[in-house]
Amino acid sequence: MVASEVLRARFVAALQFGGKFRGRHAHNIKGVGLADRAEPGRLALNAPATRRTALRLLAGAGAAAGLGLTAGCASDDGRRTLRWWSPQAAPDQVKMYRAQIAAFEAGNPGVRVVFEPTSDEGYPAQLAAAFAAKQVPNLVTHLPSFTAQNYYARGLLEPVDDVARAIGEQRFFPGANDIYRTGDGTLCAVGIGNTAVDMFWYRKDLLQKAGLSAPPATWDELREACRRMQGGGVYGAALPYGMNGMTSLIFIGFIHRAGGQVFSPDLEVAIDSPATYDALEFFKSMREYCPAGASNFSWGESLTAFVSGATATGIYGGRVLANVAAQNPGIAGAISCTTYPTMSREIPAWTFNDFPCLFIPKGAPHLAETKAFAASLFAPPLYIDQLHAAPGHVLPTLQTIAADPAYLANPLIARYPAEIDLMTRTAAAGHNLGQETAKHRPNLKASEIISSNTIAELVQRVVLDGEAPRPAVAATAARLRELMRG
Amino acid sequence: MAEAALPGARLERRDALLGLALIAPTVLVLGAVIVYPLLSAIYLSLFSLYTPTLEGHWVGLANYRAVFGSGGFWSALATTAVWTVGTLTLQVLFGLAMALLLHQNILFRSLARSLVLFPYFLSTVVAVLVWRWLFNDLYGVVNHALMAAGIIDAPVSWLGTMPNAMLSIIVVGAWKFFPFVVIAILARLQTIPEALYEAARIDGAGPVSRFFDITLPQLRDVLTIVILLRTVWDFKEFDLIYLMTGGGPVNGTRTLPLIVYQQAFGLNQMGLAAAHAVAMMLVMLVFMLAYLRRAGGRVA
Repeated sequence: MVASEVLRARFVAALQFGGKFRGRHAHNIKGVGLADRAEPGRLALNAPATRRTALRLLAGAGAAAGLGLTAGCASDDGRRTLRWWSPQAAPDQVKMYRAQIAAFEAGNPGVRVVFEPTSDEGYPAQLAAAFAAKQVPNLVTHLPSFTAQNYYARGLLEPVDDVARAIGEQRFFPGANDIYRTGDGTLCAVGIGNTAVDMFWYRKDLLQKAGLSAPPATWDELREACRRMQGGGVYGAALPYGMNGMTSLIFIGFIHRAGGQVFSPDLEVAIDSPATYDALEFFKSMREYCPAGASNFSWGESLTAFVSGATATGIYGGRVLANVAAQNPGIAGAISCTTYPTMSREIPAWTFNDFPCLFIPKGAPHLAETKAFAASLFAPPLYIDQLHAAPGHVLPTLQTIAADPAYLANPLIARYPAEIDLMTRTAAAGHNLGQETAKHRPNLKASEIISSNTIAELVQRVVLDGEAPRPAVAATAARLRELMRG
Repeated sequence: MAEAALPGARLERRDALLGLALIAPTVLVLGAVIVYPLLSAIYLSLFSLYTPTLEGHWVGLANYRAVFGSGGFWSALATTAVWTVGTLTLQVLFGLAMALLLHQNILFRSLARSLVLFPYFLSTVVAVLVWRWLFNDLYGVVNHALMAAGIIDAPVSWLGTMPNAMLSIIVVGAWKFFPFVVIAILARLQTIPEALYEAARIDGAGPVSRFFDITLPQLRDVLTIVILLRTVWDFKEFDLIYLMTGGGPVNGTRTLPLIVYQQAFGLNQMGLAAAHAVAMMLVMLVFMLAYLRRAGGRVA
């Protein structure tokens, strides 16, 4: 009999003894003499109880229970478990992930896949803790490209060139995975989707009511449109001013829409420029057209503001389509999107694409199975179902899927072909802080910069606190230099 | 029967061993969950470390120089103090008032005593979601009610501007944690001898006099302990503030625990985060010593 079995047996005996203790011998709890005790080392179920005996039994029971729990954690059905993390975890998406998991498990009976949702604001902390504790998930999907580059540079990710080959490199849009190409020439991730995150969503009915025949193309036009559309409980815009990642990510786009950049192509801090001042001035001027709560807006609040009809325009990705269809179908026929207006017509549009990717943390067990599962996520028809769970939001990176009639047959994709096409094109040409333009080197500190809220803080200082832009921008530039050094 | 025959010394040794065996798990657990993390934090604070890998190099006291030399720490300390004092004051006032009410022979007293614990048992995440919804400017009940009552003309941003954000988290914190005060005070109220009140009534003391001359002095010990404990707990409160405001607007509600979190997991600077945590612990040590002194005094 092994030790744990002995302890379990004692635990059972203790439970039995406990029953008698509570009943027949309860009166012996106090004042019992040594003569009434059982022999040491023996469990005398019919003997009077003493406090010491009871303590021994409790100690034994505790140890047995502990061992039992440990044994329980160790035992499973013998299958190898893969853990999959993603912040894209809306109920419809999780349902499709489970279908993909079921399909993979059916073809690989020795493997079990567990999906664990994370969040856009929470994943840095969760991944940092997972890496530090060496309890990393096998697979992470839908995180921004700069996250993968950052972790790979620190030696925390597996190269995934063979995953890309297993999916079929020729199936991707040309250059779709270039943003994941590292300095050593390998792929640190593969694109699982594209998202045009900061599209300009507008209500055609409100625009028409305001006497405007076309959506605004410049900031001046946007301000005027918002002024005309605001009223009757409807605000003009849903820009974020909160102390969070959304404000940072969105405001970076406005610096570019003013013709500026946060870093130069060789990653010198370049935020202290007239373009940034123009962007701040624009953001400040738009505050009166946004709801009072915009000072605390993040992704969810900004999306809901437009979807609920509280704002005439919105700034978000394609998830607007599904949410309007489900939550406010009354405006579904009136919504459309275009690229967000720029400061002037001479400045080209700049679209924020977070390049949702798939990567494999180094050190996770069952690497071969993980890679096989990763590749399986791109297999139609379930990959199409996965994209259909958030139609227009997560756009395909495989050109074979984008042209697939099964993909195009989705009711929402079929209903908004112009919007989907525009988002697909602009997302493909999009950028993020990880690589602000095609000329930029990958910025391996982008993740920390966003997490530091340095840029969101700049927006809040100037817009909410009314600080003078120049010292605020200078302080931000200094902080960015510090972060780049760190 | 056999134990009775054991020599006294052997029995004492057996008792001593049993005592050691019984206390050993507690010592081990306390060592694992308190002493080890504490020493680890101090050790980590002497390095520059990248959080995901915990790799880095020795920097000695440089992290502490950075902490105490930056305005961020002192600003966050002041914010933490405002939050702690504000929410603690409300907790004690609400808690005391509610405990006095629940000590009376009111209808459905048992039900009310159970329900009052609800906020304390509710998950912070759930509570924050509910409160964020209540405070929402577009569809929140608070703004609607205030506008309907004619108190405000337009929706107010309760979480996005100062001092609203600080006031809001103070109120939510008080709502969430005042049941602890209620439990402690109610338990003490039930042990105050009725004879004291009878004597006071005979002497002509009114309700206010009875409260200040009997009830409050009788509650002094328990209130002191409650305030000390809640001060420590509120001082290091993280999840409620992080989820409500994220530390904003600007740095208006950025308390020390939020800085530790951001340094450790946002900026991946575990050494600097540990230095912040140790500095924070030194501040809390004052409260802990006061508590230990108080608790020790009571035992004596």
